[in-house]
Amino acid sequence: MGALLELGIPLFLLALGYLAGSIAEQNHYKSIRVRELRHRRIPTTNLRRPPPHWQVAEAAMVAGSTVVSVDYFKRFLAQLRNFFGGRVRAYESLLDRARREALLRMKSEATERGFDAVINVRIETSNISSPFGRNGRGTAGIEVLAFGTALKLAR
Amino acid sequence: MEREPSLLENNVSPGHPLAELATLVGGLVLVGLGLLLAVWLLVEATLRWLPASLEQRVFGGAAAAVLPVEGGDELDVALGELLARLTRHGPVRGYALTIGVVEAGGPNAFALPGGRLLVTRPLLAQAASENELAFVLAHELGHVEARDPLRGLGRGVLVALALSALGASDGAAVAGSAATLGERAFSREQERAADRFALARVAAEYGHVAGASDFLRRLPDAGPASAAERATGWLATHPRSDRRVAELEALAAAAGYAAEGALTPLPPELRSD
Repeated sequence: MGALLELGIPLFLLALGYLAGSIAEQNHYKSIRVRELRHRRIPTTNLRRPPPHWQVAEAAMVAGSTVVSVDYFKRFLAQLRNFFGGRVRAYESLLDRARREALLRMKSEATERGFDAVINVRIETSNISSPFGRNGRGTAGIEVLAFGTALKLAR
Repeated sequence: MEREPSLLENNVSPGHPLAELATLVGGLVLVGLGLLLAVWLLVEATLRWLPASLEQRVFGGAAAAVLPVEGGDELDVALGELLARLTRHGPVRGYALTIGVVEAGGPNAFALPGGRLLVTRPLLAQAASENELAFVLAHELGHVEARDPLRGLGRGVLVALALSALGASDGAAVAGSAATLGERAFSREQERAADRFALARVAAEYGHVAGASDFLRRLPDAGPASAAERATGWLATHPRSDRRVAELEALAAAAGYAAEGALTPLPPELRSD
């Protein structure tokens, strides 16, 4: 019985992490795609200067950030992947979502404040909790920050 | 300036997470079993070249005495005499065996590297006949004859060493579990071999095997197995007692050992009352 529990609890957590994680991921992607379509009207670029023919009336910084952490299943999968090396697929989708969400939040701020475009967009990440704490089993958490210069154009 | 958002979602590698999990776990199980195989080869090769006398010198310590244990109390002497009777039917690899009683624990017996046998006080207390006790001692003798204690120690140390080299990750834990479970399969086979050895010794000593499996019949897992117990047999170090008893009965019938016979009472020194 003890052996069954010893094996059963991690398996249960893995199944739970997988189910909850994949449902959350599917829903998030659905929402991301809808909002990306909605925000398609606001041009964003990483050029440092606006195109010469633009008449800039107003400029301000806009930013959007997300903080992501891994679920039990993804962490387990990544740890196993660690052993052999290769693409950590489990984290790829997580970071893809985080990056797109951060950009969307930035765009949404720009739209709400009535700006017409965002230039000089930068994306940065920073660790907010170390995966090396607690004997290498700490939670890996990172922030993805997207920021840029929002411009209002003269009509 | 209007642009459709990129529909090209190429930042996530294709493939299903569960398929990836299966591949990785499968790979790690292979790593663990490969590790166990390497350890097994190394230990078997070492055992071939390591004489029992050297093992005894390293692990025996003060236990170099010949049977019965010199200076031991009456109990040790009586146990030693029983052991000596069981060893007359064939050599046990030239180990100078020693035997002792430990006070603690449930009814159990152990064989340690260097030819040292231990029985617990509760084992003696519940033994109904000398035949029952003789089977337990002969089972441990079977382990000594097969050099299982040293083998188990060698495997345990090497597997632990290899796993610590892999580091403390979930991956290493998966490989480690595979190695541990593989090791338990070896262990269950060793227990069966020791049972076979013990049955032959008891038959040679008493002329029958009555009472031999009494100890096993008293163990908590001697009853019929539940579905959960049957499903988790591969996690255990020993086969289930009901199976061991059944295998002993089949073996006795095949070898022509008499199943019935008069039980020998325990010598007075071994009785607890």
